[in-house]
Amino acid sequence: MKKTTCTPLVTAEAQAAPQPPRALANCGKCGLCLSACPVYKLLREEQASPRARLQLIKAFDNGNLASSVLLKELISKCLMCGSCAKTCPSGINHYDNFMQMRRKMVADHGEEPAIKALIHLLSKEFMLKTGSRIAVVGQRITPDALAQKYSLGNIPLSRLPRLNPKPFRDTRPQTVPASSRMPAKARVAYFTGCATNFMFEDTGNAFVEVLTSLGYEVIIPGSQVCCAIPMLFHGAAKQAVFNIKTNIQALSQLSCDHIIVDCSTCGAALKDEYPRFLARAAHDRELAKEFSSGQLADLTDRAGTVAAKTKEILSFLAAPESGLTDALPQKAAIPPVRTVYHAPCHSRNSFDSHDKARLLLRRLPNIDYIPLPSEADCCGGGGTFFYEHPDLARQMMDKKQAQVRDAMAALWLTDCPVCRINISGSLAPADAIDVCHPVTMAARALKADESAKP
Amino acid sequence: MTMTLEVKKKLAALMGQGRYLDRPEELACYAYDAFLEEAMPEAVVLPESTQQVSKIMALAAAHNIPVTARGAGTSICGAPVPVNHGIVVCFSKMDQILDINTRDRYAVVQPGVINQELQNALAPYNFFYPPDPGSITIATIGGNIAQNAGGPRCLKYGVTMDYILGIEAVLADGRIVRFGSKNVKDVTGYKMAALFCGSEGTLGLVTQAIVKVVPKPDTSRTLTVNFNNLDDCAEAVSDIIGSGILPAAMELMDKFVVNTIEDNANLGLDREAEGCLLIEVDGTAGSCEQETAGIMEKLTAHNAVHIEEAATPQDQARLWTARRSVYGVFAKLAPDILSEDVTVPVSQVPEMIRRIKAIAEKHRITVGVMAHAGDGNMHPLVPADRNNHEEWIRVEKAFDEIFEAGAALGGTLSGEHGIGLAKTRYLPLVMDQDSRDVMAQVKQALDPSGILNPGKFV
Repeated sequence: MKKTTCTPLVTAEAQAAPQPPRALANCGKCGLCLSACPVYKLLREEQASPRARLQLIKAFDNGNLASSVLLKELISKCLMCGSCAKTCPSGINHYDNFMQMRRKMVADHGEEPAIKALIHLLSKEFMLKTGSRIAVVGQRITPDALAQKYSLGNIPLSRLPRLNPKPFRDTRPQTVPASSRMPAKARVAYFTGCATNFMFEDTGNAFVEVLTSLGYEVIIPGSQVCCAIPMLFHGAAKQAVFNIKTNIQALSQLSCDHIIVDCSTCGAALKDEYPRFLARAAHDRELAKEFSSGQLADLTDRAGTVAAKTKEILSFLAAPESGLTDALPQKAAIPPVRTVYHAPCHSRNSFDSHDKARLLLRRLPNIDYIPLPSEADCCGGGGTFFYEHPDLARQMMDKKQAQVRDAMAALWLTDCPVCRINISGSLAPADAIDVCHPVTMAARALKADESAKP
Repeated sequence: MTMTLEVKKKLAALMGQGRYLDRPEELACYAYDAFLEEAMPEAVVLPESTQQVSKIMALAAAHNIPVTARGAGTSICGAPVPVNHGIVVCFSKMDQILDINTRDRYAVVQPGVINQELQNALAPYNFFYPPDPGSITIATIGGNIAQNAGGPRCLKYGVTMDYILGIEAVLADGRIVRFGSKNVKDVTGYKMAALFCGSEGTLGLVTQAIVKVVPKPDTSRTLTVNFNNLDDCAEAVSDIIGSGILPAAMELMDKFVVNTIEDNANLGLDREAEGCLLIEVDGTAGSCEQETAGIMEKLTAHNAVHIEEAATPQDQARLWTARRSVYGVFAKLAPDILSEDVTVPVSQVPEMIRRIKAIAEKHRITVGVMAHAGDGNMHPLVPADRNNHEEWIRVEKAFDEIFEAGAALGGTLSGEHGIGLAKTRYLPLVMDQDSRDVMAQVKQALDPSGILNPGKFV
């Protein structure tokens, strides 16, 4: 077997800088992470567990295991949900270790063409925009027969979301003033993420309506780009650099009190991954090359400011000081709709938002929120997981769907766009269950006279 | 004995798609448990039925290949580490609960059922399965049987062995045998099922178990208690048990353990206290009240400085979750962690703690003293670095002396972790030659060629 090494050499400056903690050395192999891992819980195979992935990385780093396609496969059979790291009593950052190992494996063995294309697209905003325009036309003219036949993972093309006619950010001014009916509150910057910009304008519109009607001025920075998580998860660290730089520049120079996301994965990037990435870049010759002298220190500083201001919308609205509770009508105009919730992994693990989201949902008068035991179980979306491992994704979804059908829900809320694509894509038309972001229902509740249906 | 290609092919043919593994990347995932030592198997199989296990064993016996059983790999003594290589039989996919019958107080499970999943399945009936090892959320019933696992509430309820009514097992030659029954009273012949508890896969592979389940107590109360003196803390434990009160659990933690937990979980435990007890009583509201009053009296008599009761079930759960995470939070402190479970009669707990502290001081090692104190089950925890040879020699010497001290006080090597690779060399401290020989003869009778988990305590 060919042994390929791709461990970057450490520069002299980096050696002088403080070393990041020896993250892997302190794994006691206790196995508690297995109990949190959706993939392990489904497959019941150690090789599909977070502990095994850490052990494999350790064996690779020690030279006991060679780089191989199978090693890449075992490392990648993971949703990157971060539940393992959240559970780990030893404080291991599985997530970060997996990300770095994925990078090494992609360097050695390449990436699937479809994912490579996606990453290329997301790292080039103008291509994304052009691509989406063409795709909008494409979706309009694709015959239904074709749309039924072809699928992405388990999802038939016909059940993939329609693209926005125009990117959301192009439909709004960069500064949306607060409603004059309310006393002026803070200024918030809205990091929309690609999903809202290109697919889910309903989320974007609701987000802006809710915040402005509560008295917030909303800034939608025009220069923001993809958060870079897809590149980081698929080992494309170099492609991520441009996006990370651009976003930090765009957000750090704004005068605003909060930076709010509607997608907690984007939020995890702004809050956790950018500072970590920059810290790592200081110790990595290849990555350090991507920054001019002094730039890294400056960006690190700015990334800290951005991280400290970043919040996700549901926790923000659930806090009493947001003003939402006071603004909501006591009773809905029409009977509340039976509603279930899916708690996305990054909302739970990066923002600890699950309890806050529940609090918020209970306060909305236009929904009858039914908490489900499987609410926090993974839906199998996992970025591109649903495309790479459709069989596993299907099984994860089946368990959840059974409970949702039993609850006779007509509305399924989730605050992650990938979960939303995955959930709505795998429901049958006969289910008659709508899927949207909870902020949409908050916006509707604020307009008490409107229909409570999404 | 090395596995030839021919044997590997035969083994693969017995297994379905994805249930036979032999590539190095896959094998590396079955080389460990939570103990320090690791060893690579030559093949891993994930069986789905008793019949399949029987065929695997027949093949292994015909070619004299070592076979090591594995559940979730959470034991901390190296029991499922295949030191003589050969085949690892991992039971994690045999994970069905076959029957729950609370009228007759039993459940029938496959070995790969996770302990917590059994608890969850019993909850709607208001029943539970008492053994509660620290790894309850992921450890399997099969693994619990192999290690005769315990846990905090085993103080009142007893360990795994006390809840195994019957087993189905595959012997070394592939024969399928059944011991015990669904009856909670059964003295028909030798209690063979009990013999398999703690056997660590050296006698046969358990492929099904009938476990006893019990009704949940009406209520429970949890106290945290602080002492300015560790001796007082230990004496209180000994006195409470000695007075005839039997709490569900009584956990002792020294200052170092409390601080390590607090660094991680921020529960509001008192960082200044020299000793801390976590006590749970359960039963009816009346019995809890009575026991709590008796306990309070004893605590006060032994100079407890602060007693606080968890206000809500959520607070109780938080305390126990933190207690279960201790092994993990200690792993944070150093590259390696040694956790032993030497056990002494409860009246000797204060003396044992004094000796552990003295030994640690003598050898200049860091030790955290934690204990399921109510049943004398000590958990000295030592964070260290195996690559620091000088330190490691001191750690090993200290553990030698800790086991000697335990034996001298009438104690034993393990209360609940098992022997595995960790404690084989200490067996002579607590078992004489003749007694060890009898154990070897039992092994010989069931596994004459010694292919079941070789290299372990027997």
